[in-house]
Amino acid sequence: MSNVDRREFLKLVGAGGVGVGAGFMLAESAKHPLEHLIPYAVPPEEFSSGVATWYNSVCGMCPAGCGISVRTREGRAKKIEGNPSHPVSQGRLCALGQAGLQVLYNPDRLSSPLLLDGASGSFRPATWVEGVDKVAGALSSARNVVVLSRGIRGHLAQIFERFAGSLSSANLLQYDFAHEDALYVGNRESFGIDRLPYYDIANTRYLVSFGADYLNGWISPVHHSLGFGTSRQGGHDRGYFVQVEPRMSVSGASADRWVPANPGTEGLLALGIAQQIVAMGGYSGADRDAWTSTLAPYDIASVSQRTGVNDDIVRQIAEGFMHTRPGLAITGGAATRHVNGVNTAIAVNTLNYIAGNVGIEGGILFNPAAPLATTGEENRGAYESLANLVTHAENGSIDALLVYDTDPVFTMPADSGFREALEKIPFVASLSSFMDETTAMADVVLPSHTYLESWGDDVPEPGVGFSVGAVSQPVVAPLYNTQAVGDTLIAIAAHMGHSDAIPWASTEECIKDGWRQVHAQGGSGDFDAFWRSLLQAGVYGRNIRDTRAVSLDPTVVAGMDANEPTFSGNAATYPFTLHPYTSMRMHDGRGANLPWMLELPDAMTSVVYSSWVEINPVTAEELGVRQGDVVEISSEHGSVTAPVYVYPAIMPDVVAMPVGQGHSKLGRYAKNRGSNPLSIVAAQTDAKSGSLAWAATRVSVAPTGQRAKLVTMSGESRELGRNIVQTTGGAAGSAGHSAKLNSIPIKVEAV
Amino acid sequence: MVLVALAGMVVGYWANAAFFPGTSPQQPIDFSHKVHAGDNEIPCQYCHVQARRSVSAGVPSVNKCMGCHLEVATDRPQVRLLTNYWESGEPVPWIKVHDLPDFVHFTHKRHVAAGIECQTCHGAVESMDVVSREAPVKMGLCLACHRENEVEHGTDCWTCHK
Repeated sequence: MSNVDRREFLKLVGAGGVGVGAGFMLAESAKHPLEHLIPYAVPPEEFSSGVATWYNSVCGMCPAGCGISVRTREGRAKKIEGNPSHPVSQGRLCALGQAGLQVLYNPDRLSSPLLLDGASGSFRPATWVEGVDKVAGALSSARNVVVLSRGIRGHLAQIFERFAGSLSSANLLQYDFAHEDALYVGNRESFGIDRLPYYDIANTRYLVSFGADYLNGWISPVHHSLGFGTSRQGGHDRGYFVQVEPRMSVSGASADRWVPANPGTEGLLALGIAQQIVAMGGYSGADRDAWTSTLAPYDIASVSQRTGVNDDIVRQIAEGFMHTRPGLAITGGAATRHVNGVNTAIAVNTLNYIAGNVGIEGGILFNPAAPLATTGEENRGAYESLANLVTHAENGSIDALLVYDTDPVFTMPADSGFREALEKIPFVASLSSFMDETTAMADVVLPSHTYLESWGDDVPEPGVGFSVGAVSQPVVAPLYNTQAVGDTLIAIAAHMGHSDAIPWASTEECIKDGWRQVHAQGGSGDFDAFWRSLLQAGVYGRNIRDTRAVSLDPTVVAGMDANEPTFSGNAATYPFTLHPYTSMRMHDGRGANLPWMLELPDAMTSVVYSSWVEINPVTAEELGVRQGDVVEISSEHGSVTAPVYVYPAIMPDVVAMPVGQGHSKLGRYAKNRGSNPLSIVAAQTDAKSGSLAWAATRVSVAPTGQRAKLVTMSGESRELGRNIVQTTGGAAGSAGHSAKLNSIPIKVEAV
Repeated sequence: MVLVALAGMVVGYWANAAFFPGTSPQQPIDFSHKVHAGDNEIPCQYCHVQARRSVSAGVPSVNKCMGCHLEVATDRPQVRLLTNYWESGEPVPWIKVHDLPDFVHFTHKRHVAAGIECQTCHGAVESMDVVSREAPVKMGLCLACHRENEVEHGTDCWTCHK
């Protein structure tokens, strides 16, 4: 050490100093970051930090009306499950319902009122006072106002009604793309009943579904999935399921028999089966002769020829449906979205009637009146009423439009001219929670709470065979500067000087008032106790059933036109039928901004994100396209592009596309992803129901020469000798694993 | 020279840990556990009511404090600070002293139910004017206690790391 010179000494001091500093900083960085412990100033009564609080409410993700239980901690919603007491969901919930959290916490939610700045053409944040003032001012000077919303059930509908009533001339219109208008009209014409019946899948032993994908989106998928499970494994004879549809859906894949029929001829097939049952002596009513002659045109030979279904299959289904009791036939989805949609619904009702399935357990049961005074269905408008709106807007006879939580610019075909019509309406205000395609065209946006932040009540549709109502309550405090839609309407009415038009101070008051009447009709105890137990249960039921005997007059069927559907586009130029289909993931497009739904593999193709077009392997080979080739799908009314998914379970002259993606707005996750098949369908309607015949458009398919990577979870859909799909032949186990497997030969592209 | 630098690092690390432990941060109000839990013998769970019910012991809400301080010692400057929070309806932003990493699952409820004294992990809080982290709340302390009391599955990884 003695020979350390001055220079060396300074070096060592420097090194030591740097070392000490580095060590100090290292220790500092290893410390926990500063965390706070912030108590409430005044905690809610039931609050315990670290302990979850559950609230029962009603799911708002689709119109099925499942009961939900939401787990909250420290005032934040954490998880949504099904409410075990609710007869629709019985403790279960679908994926879209679970993703309700991503609606609540969505980064693209509108967080304050917005005003369109005329000069820049973009929105600027505003206060509620400014926004309400602007809307009230515009409505005061407007002669013709249209209030357009999603389907609203329960007492909230009363606020809408009274609000519209307070304006000098206002039209109230509820529009949902996925609403089964044809079923409603079909039931009214067949049985004279306005509400949907209960389809008792749980107790049926033989279900024939004509196009209704009841496990993946059709009207009440959670309840129907429960029913399917009970029918299959409920400790009794196993239910037998037949699915008639041109493209295999989830329900088709779960069925015992999948029957592809020409698109739009599902009703014909139902009448053909009914005719067989009558001919085999399966119908013994007094009007048997009338039915025999009414159904005579639907003999097995002609039905088989027109539907493309082998006559043996028709006969087998007829025998099975006649002899297996109880049976049930249902229809919906694309089958009722043809120009003969109502006829198909009536035909299926006829089949149920002939087979004796009406009014019995395991068949169709009618729903009694709801405990609530209003169901809100009265203002429901089909596509046709929006087409009328377009006409009026083009004439300039609509001065203002108020739109809430429905997105017709996305769900209406481009051919309908809705977007152009909306531009002609001088004043548009939106009360939606997201910047969807329709809201983006508004002048003022007054964003509403999500369903997890608002009061409401509901009558599930379809019901469950007895009288049920449910209440939805806020499970968290509002996250942003939004308002309950009912409160916004009350505020606008008050600002216009119509404060007496709506007798309630808030939505909560309105809902509570409605349930006071329910309580007066037979609730027990005092109202406060009733209300408390109602909110705790989340649902209220009365054991009232509708056991009326109905009869179906043969003249209803006789009055039907020839049941052949018509298509837009000639077969030579447009050789394929476009089969758009809805799913539980995207519903009518509202799932497209939820990352969980985008990440969730489609149940049949396992594709995540983006859109695709399903093409039969034979067709794909004829067209010279492979999986992942981007093709252009063109109708007379436009074209979209999508990558090919080679799908063996689709008829060769049908191409199928999922509905829900292809948004130009709706936030960062939805925007510019996938394509929207609805944009190219022809604006033709089913005359009887006025609903859009969105499955009746012919298209052509042309390769673009581009390729896209389809992100699928399944990898290769063929078995390729990997022993992953093992089947046993007659002598089970005799040959063991060395046996040649009966794998399904599927012709796909050359390897 | 490298050795000197390394030795320096060790010294620096030790100096930080020894003289700047960060275990008794400056709180928004100079609250004294000694006055409350020590001199006046208020039981821990009078204020930390959640400890026997929840994973977290919680800190008392402002209205809990005001339950006494509307009447008691209202003129002291630190109590005035509290009253200011109360009057503006704001919570007191206390800083955590005892904090386990996020990968440790610890529940107060279970330990209170088992009769473990608060002081076992938190030290003699009733004698501290300013609370600091005195007991070494590390995995060793948990395991030693679990072994000593023969806790069922007490040394399984998944008991705490789940």
